[in-house]
Amino acid sequence: MGFLWTGTWILVLVLHVSPIQAFPKPGSSQDKSLHNRELSAERPLNEQIAEAEADKIKKTYPPENKPGESNYSFVDNLNLLKAITEKEKIEKDRQSIRSSPFDNKLNVEDVDSTKNRRLTDDYDSTKSGLDHKLQDDPDGLHQLDGTPLTAEDIVHKIATRIYEENDRGVFDKIVSKLLNLGLITESQAHTLEDEVAEVLQKLISQEANNYEQDPNKPTSRTENQAGKIPEKVSPMAAIQDGFTNGENDETVSNTLTLTNGLERRTKTYSEDNFEELQYFPNFYALLKSIDSEKEAKEKETLITIMKTLIDFVKMMVKYGTISPEEGVSYLENLDEMIALQTKNKLEKNATDNKSKLFPAPSEKSHEETDSTKEEAAKMEKEYGTLKDSTKDDNSNPGGKTDEPTGKTEAYLEAIRKNIEWLKKHDKKGNKEDYDLSKMRDFINQQTDAYVEKGILDKEEAKAIKRIYSSL
Amino acid sequence: MAGRGGRALLALCGALAACGWLLGAEAQEPGAPAAGMRRRRRLQQEDGISFEYHRYPELREALVSVWLQCTAISRIYTVGRSFEGRELLVIELSDNPGVHEPGEPEFKYIGNMHGNEAVGRELLIFLAQYLCNEYQKGNETIVNLIHSTRIHIMPSLNPDGFEKAASQPGELKDWFVGRSNAQGIDLNRNFPDLDRIVYVNEKEGGPNNHLLKNMKKIVDQNTKLAPETKAVIHWIMDIPFVLSANLHGGDLVANYPYDETRSGSAHEYSSCPDDAIFKSLARAYSSFNPVMSDPSRPPCRKNDDDSSFVDGTTNGGAWYSVPGGMQDFNYLSSNCFEITVELSCEKFPPEETLKSFWEDNKNSLISYLQQIHRGVKGFVRDLQGNPIANATISVEGIEHDVTSAKDGDYWRLLVPGNYKLTASAPGYLAITKKVAVPYSPAVGVDFELESFSERKEEEKEELMEWWKMMSETLNF
Repeated sequence: MGFLWTGTWILVLVLHVSPIQAFPKPGSSQDKSLHNRELSAERPLNEQIAEAEADKIKKTYPPENKPGESNYSFVDNLNLLKAITEKEKIEKDRQSIRSSPFDNKLNVEDVDSTKNRRLTDDYDSTKSGLDHKLQDDPDGLHQLDGTPLTAEDIVHKIATRIYEENDRGVFDKIVSKLLNLGLITESQAHTLEDEVAEVLQKLISQEANNYEQDPNKPTSRTENQAGKIPEKVSPMAAIQDGFTNGENDETVSNTLTLTNGLERRTKTYSEDNFEELQYFPNFYALLKSIDSEKEAKEKETLITIMKTLIDFVKMMVKYGTISPEEGVSYLENLDEMIALQTKNKLEKNATDNKSKLFPAPSEKSHEETDSTKEEAAKMEKEYGTLKDSTKDDNSNPGGKTDEPTGKTEAYLEAIRKNIEWLKKHDKKGNKEDYDLSKMRDFINQQTDAYVEKGILDKEEAKAIKRIYSSL
Repeated sequence: MAGRGGRALLALCGALAACGWLLGAEAQEPGAPAAGMRRRRRLQQEDGISFEYHRYPELREALVSVWLQCTAISRIYTVGRSFEGRELLVIELSDNPGVHEPGEPEFKYIGNMHGNEAVGRELLIFLAQYLCNEYQKGNETIVNLIHSTRIHIMPSLNPDGFEKAASQPGELKDWFVGRSNAQGIDLNRNFPDLDRIVYVNEKEGGPNNHLLKNMKKIVDQNTKLAPETKAVIHWIMDIPFVLSANLHGGDLVANYPYDETRSGSAHEYSSCPDDAIFKSLARAYSSFNPVMSDPSRPPCRKNDDDSSFVDGTTNGGAWYSVPGGMQDFNYLSSNCFEITVELSCEKFPPEETLKSFWEDNKNSLISYLQQIHRGVKGFVRDLQGNPIANATISVEGIEHDVTSAKDGDYWRLLVPGNYKLTASAPGYLAITKKVAVPYSPAVGVDFELESFSERKEEEKEELMEWWKMMSETLNF
């Protein structure tokens, strides 16, 4: 008992020493103040640094007579632009040589503007001078004669960069940085966009004026500009131009695509129909391959189909259903697909396929509102015949009986087995339809995910989705 | 997109598709196989399994077909890309694909890590198809297996090597062409050599499991590792695999750890702490393969030394020393037990033999799968029922521990016998339990661990009681 007593006292003593909540600790409050003291000692330092930065910013921002435009929002953000332009300085250096002829012309234009740039006095039109001056400007925030930049100058600089690089992405980069850092608001970003667009517009029209004076470049379009643009981009521009006729909302993208796309057309096509279709080289080749005399009607139909599709896409863009870029990519993909199909077609029995080609498309009408149902019905028909053909091994639409059909057949077979099993598995009558639509959604989701991960390619995914949607 | 616009869009796609169908061809893949292996889909010889070599596009198609047929129980994913950019595809079969159900063990098969050892690759494709078919037929064994296990099948870890090997003209393939990955790295010598570390630890004291704890960073920064190797390491780290097999060719035997000899000599039986269960696992494969387990089978080549082979199985080091192999890496870096199965004397045999390889191996493949449901399994939780992840489960007498996964679940493969299992975790008091383990199925043993603070609380309460009692008695 005595031993126990001692033991208990020892334990009690131990408890006093060890940190248990029940017993108050005199030392804790002291720790707190020490802790706080550390924090308070740190903060002033941070503030000091912040203040120093702020001072630096104030010093670099020069007092100037602003021409009273609404660019004040950017005036406070010179420091940020400094950082950005520093990064882009490297690219600028690389491009300075290439871009200098343009610079020259731009500088000439500046004489007309009400802006503060006094570049023309200081420039001579030789490349080397320009390069030298550009390279001496480490932070890009000063004009070449040493005077600091105004906000308009910055806008102008951005516009020039975009113009030179033919890339709207420059602007997006800058704006997203500004937004991310919280230095500008959304509305300010929009304002900036508009201003840059205006300037860009001016740049481009100036360019146009300059080039129109050159008689050696025949044009088939009203607004035409020279450029080192690859041919592939031309359909994009042509369509874009069509899309954005008269729309001034997306001025920047408009002007950019105008810049990008239009190139000299050396070829002119006799038929009016081909004006837009010329931008689809593969389709055009296909048309050419059809003998005009014998199958004029088929040719007409094909052309009509293509034009309808193009109009369709244009309308969707106009209504804002899809963006111009998406529209263009649809059409580009279409062209590629035509190339592929043409190639395949050439490997098969040509005449058989050709005769099969046309009956269905001729059903296609120009009334897009009704076409959805028609298309769906047409698709169902197609798949109906296809499905039957898998069961009956003797015939199939493509006329290929020699080679057993490949992967799409295998997929079809697999899907069939899956559906069969599903039906057997839940034998409740009502549930069947329900499960099928759920399965359809699930399949759509999964195929998309698989395409993203590289497990399926887009064609396969489309095929699978179509098969499911036609069940 | 607006509803009307969306439908119109679909219609447009439909129109395009209709055009495509009408023009009379199915879209050919841009990378259509070269002249050597034209895509001939023979009439299904057996339930949708076509016994022919699958190049990369066909491999992908075959897996996609399995997925399309068995959407409810399968999922395809990729663990990364080979050096030349081919996806390292895996098909997963389970009753809840994509999800680790607590307590459900994870299994993997990996084939074709040497690109010219082709039989494993094909067998795994056939296996995926077979499992799907049998499941839909209601085959009880397969249904139970898929419901109780999460099966991951990677037909090819080295698709680049395979393409090289398969592109050789003629039937006779070279012994080496296509073995290594596109960078010339032999993937089965490319894994971090943990055996070396373990052998040192054995002498000087130190752990022999879960070496290289913070692996991801080290792995990513290691420039000597092939992308395929890195992908597998990440895979092993991400999923709590329990059992695995690595399929090869060039001989006929089921090989188990350790692969690297302790002394560094060319042949030396190098047993690992789990030698007993590994022998049993290897036998579970070989005994169902009539050729592999045939005691009177002559060696693959006249001068081969198969003296170490017993019942179609062999210890790795006893056969020949392999450093940096995937099998030992599994055992020493994770909970996964892996064996290496050599499936064919010829590394890339003629296509006509594939069917018979399938017949010889299909029962082995299933039997080995079932081995995962052996030993002891359960959950490690705290007193409130919350799972304790990364708890250590050690077995008295076996110098190798396993750890619990994120849901507190663990699986410990053991041969039949009586064992004492101890579960412990930092900050908790360890608990030991006695277990009698049969051949199968696995015995369920759960642990509820008390944390130190809880124990302290208990002790504190006891003391408070004493204090109270004392103060009352003595009138404090």
